[in-house]
Amino acid sequence: MVKSTLQSRLTSTLFVLPYLLCFCAFLLIPILYGVYISFHNFELLSEKHAFVGFDNYMKIFTPGSYLFEQFTTGLWNTMQFVLYSVPLLVVLGLALALLLNQLPKRIRGLFRTFYFMPYAISGSVMAVIWLMMFDTNAGFLNGLLAKMHIDPVAWLTDLPWVWVSLVLTTLWWTIGFNMIIFTNALNEVPEDYYEAASIDGANAWRRFVSITLPSIRPVMLFIIITSTIASFNVYAQPFLLTRGGPGNSTRVLLMNVLDEAFKGKQVGSASAMAILMAVIIIIISVVQYRFAYGRKE
Amino acid sequence: MKKTLLILVAVILAAVFLLPLIWMLSTSFKNDFEALAGQMNLIPKKPTFENYLNGLKGNLMNVPITRWISNSLFVGAAGTAIVLLFSSMAAFALARLQDLPLKKLMFPMFIGSMMIPGILTFLPMYMEFNTLGWINTYAALILPYSSGAFGVFLLFQFFSAFPKEIEEAARIDGANKWQIYSRILLPASVSIMVTLAIFTFMGIYNDFVWPLYSTTSPEMRTITAGIAMMAQGSYTQAYGKLMSMTVIATLPVFIIFIVGQRSFVKAITQAGVK
Repeated sequence: MVKSTLQSRLTSTLFVLPYLLCFCAFLLIPILYGVYISFHNFELLSEKHAFVGFDNYMKIFTPGSYLFEQFTTGLWNTMQFVLYSVPLLVVLGLALALLLNQLPKRIRGLFRTFYFMPYAISGSVMAVIWLMMFDTNAGFLNGLLAKMHIDPVAWLTDLPWVWVSLVLTTLWWTIGFNMIIFTNALNEVPEDYYEAASIDGANAWRRFVSITLPSIRPVMLFIIITSTIASFNVYAQPFLLTRGGPGNSTRVLLMNVLDEAFKGKQVGSASAMAILMAVIIIIISVVQYRFAYGRKE
Repeated sequence: MKKTLLILVAVILAAVFLLPLIWMLSTSFKNDFEALAGQMNLIPKKPTFENYLNGLKGNLMNVPITRWISNSLFVGAAGTAIVLLFSSMAAFALARLQDLPLKKLMFPMFIGSMMIPGILTFLPMYMEFNTLGWINTYAALILPYSSGAFGVFLLFQFFSAFPKEIEEAARIDGANKWQIYSRILLPASVSIMVTLAIFTFMGIYNDFVWPLYSTTSPEMRTITAGIAMMAQGSYTQAYGKLMSMTVIATLPVFIIFIVGQRSFVKAITQAGVK
């Protein structure tokens, strides 16, 4: 046994200290400070910040008020995005992984790289590429449609195309992540399960439903949770591609929070919105986590 | 027969995934006139290096692209170095040092913090840096990434699995904690550190929301924040010029991505495994 002297404990502490300080300065204190800000009338440029208690929160919950509108429409738009994108991110992510696993081993790695590549680029680069792809006059997609004698589509300005565009770019950009996790999960399903099932005469679909799906259930739930959280935090796509339009139909919650703070200069009410948004995200992930792992224990 | 069909599907999908990237590369060699003509030629009719040359000379749309790229590389490298050093030290203490006070409190707190949505800290952190007068400084661009717990989590798992005998042998030979950390555990964890480095660098380099808000002066922008700013501005249809910027911005991460792909995939897998 190593003696635990005061000095020894001190050196042990020194190892954690740098990270602990960063953790406090850039995570713990900001969270507490954010709660403090949300209780104040905190204008970005003014020096004095009056304590207003729960006023900022009350306004968010008062139907008809400006903040109520900002919060609820933002939340509704965000939820629409979650509803459109998450099922596709999960199902197509799995489909892509299944396809990859069926390919000959030699070319598997190559195709994995191809599908995964967009995940490596920045949100802003992704957006600029798709601004060009979706351009009404000069864009690649409308060029393709023109060749098939189909009228041009206003991808970034018309409903429902704005949602189609946002979901398409999201799939292109992020589905590689889900594919990787699914691929690993598929590889861990014991091969003899399939062999036994084949001998029993189970066809491919039967094997998929009875063996593959149950075996990858935990991973599936992990993907659902992470995709939901990521989609809830959607920002780059609507911020740079549709700019919330047409009207306010794709203005997501995160855009409204940041605009309230930086364009409206109202950091107090923006913080209250941010905290409510974070609470919603945490509740959703806890509920999904419970649903996923709770029943087993 | 079935295999051929699958490969065909795979190839078509690969084309779909790669096309936007190829289109970006192709457009970067077109002049704005050709880029806006709306033709679907992947090979430019009159390929031009103008966009790149002007960009590197610093007179592309009057933005300092080379400065932005340097900022990004510096911020990414410095942020990664801090994350590697601080998380490995913390993970070492949490995994190997029995007499670390408050270990039972700290560990769940660090790991739990990975669940916290970024928006919760975004505004107060901005106010914090604003109060300190650090907006538009490298500190604002680098430090916020240091609180991420993913590195601590990843290295904790690795360090915990490290055989105790080697550490004890070193202790008997008179090695102190710092020597055990720096001479034994660090050299043994090169591959996982590389993994973490790639993951961290790409995360910091690709982030654009925080740099967009925490910098206001043109020369403090990172390349991704700069591109985001231009995508909102009046340059949105100067596609040839914009695409040369996105190609330049993407090159460093693509090189790292392709070289370190295995590690990157491993890190994602490990993040996914509970």
